[in-house]
Amino acid sequence: MIELPDESPEAILAEFESRGWGDGLPLIAPTAERVDLMLGGADPDEVVAVLAPRDGRADRRAIAVNAVLAGCRPDTMAVLVAAVRALAQPQINLRGVNATTHPVAPLLIVHGAVVDQVGFNGGLGAFGPGNRANATVGRALRFVLLHIAGAVPGAGDASTQGQPSKYTYCVAENEPASPWGSYAASVGVDAPSAVTVHCGENPHNFHDMESASAERILGKASSLMTTFGANNACIATGEFFVGLCPEHARTIADAGFDRGDVAQWLFDHARRPAGEYRAHFDLRVWTDEMNAAADDDLIPPTGQVDNIKVLVVGGAGKHSCVIPSWGMTTSVTMALDT
Amino acid sequence: MSIRIHTPEGTIDRPATQRAPAPATLEGVRIGILDNTKPNADVLLRSAADALCAATGAQVVRTDTKNAALAAKDQVLDGMTREVQVVLTGSAD
Repeated sequence: MIELPDESPEAILAEFESRGWGDGLPLIAPTAERVDLMLGGADPDEVVAVLAPRDGRADRRAIAVNAVLAGCRPDTMAVLVAAVRALAQPQINLRGVNATTHPVAPLLIVHGAVVDQVGFNGGLGAFGPGNRANATVGRALRFVLLHIAGAVPGAGDASTQGQPSKYTYCVAENEPASPWGSYAASVGVDAPSAVTVHCGENPHNFHDMESASAERILGKASSLMTTFGANNACIATGEFFVGLCPEHARTIADAGFDRGDVAQWLFDHARRPAGEYRAHFDLRVWTDEMNAAADDDLIPPTGQVDNIKVLVVGGAGKHSCVIPSWGMTTSVTMALDT
Repeated sequence: MSIRIHTPEGTIDRPATQRAPAPATLEGVRIGILDNTKPNADVLLRSAADALCAATGAQVVRTDTKNAALAAKDQVLDGMTREVQVVLTGSAD
């Protein structure tokens, strides 16, 4: 515990700034009463995860402190705890995620009953401002990284430019508008509520307001997946999350595509000649098949179709997005504690 | 009125590690190179190793590579531990 001279927002902000804590924005003071409320009677000493690179022990107390700072309501704590647990799974490669010069940030996607119970937004403007649950839980997850994992710009986060989603990056899946049911269930997590953590870039928007053709819509997604600018352009383990808006998803589903068909279509069509990749990159982390391809052979930007993840997010309108991963990381979907 | 608040960092899981003592001399020391495969890392590390060897009589006896985004494999670290006394590593973009 530390002591502040007074209760003003300016006092805590000044104290945190002087210690190198926080994200630069105003904070809620984590008093004992607020932290206890956030804990909701759970054991504060239970260690949820140990987070690299600092090897910080993310016990429930420390998570709750960061949740209070970010402005979370206590009913979001289960989502935050599940997200922290997901971050620590080895396939996330959190040390690399936090230490790389790439701007990668963990995107937290919330699935299932908790979306409505707590009020997460998977609809209009889901990636944008205006929803407390999205904004504060994403911010709290960043605080956990900054404070507990030690992902402080410079010492623990070498990101050359950073990216806006390092402040907060949390959305809900718009499952009610999905023609293909729950994303979590599609990857084998059949639970009432779940979270997915995908360490990636900001959303890359694509727009199609005129097509009644699934192929014309997906063709725009495939063009984003084959940009040379994405960090995972030459990393065969790289994942692509394709966030379809409900209207695009409906058009595609009405053409007979299920979720797997969408991923397969993108895997088959999001391709460039291998020689173009070779001309642009000396360093490539490719499969044997990609390495064996002739320069004229069309190859995908990722090694297997399962690396293309499809879900529905957003509201009315015809904007969707592709979210490339950092590359050397694999997303994790986990059930919330019941 | 003053207030008391929790700090946000929690505790650290690992015991404090000690730096290995620096060798008193590099004369006759066995050097390993751990190249993280970033552009020019091999040139930088090899040049540094050559300069050290020329100045001190040390010898490069082992060179390994690793992906910059992943930890070195246990096999590599075990080999380095067995065979060398000093490791040169590290290079960013």
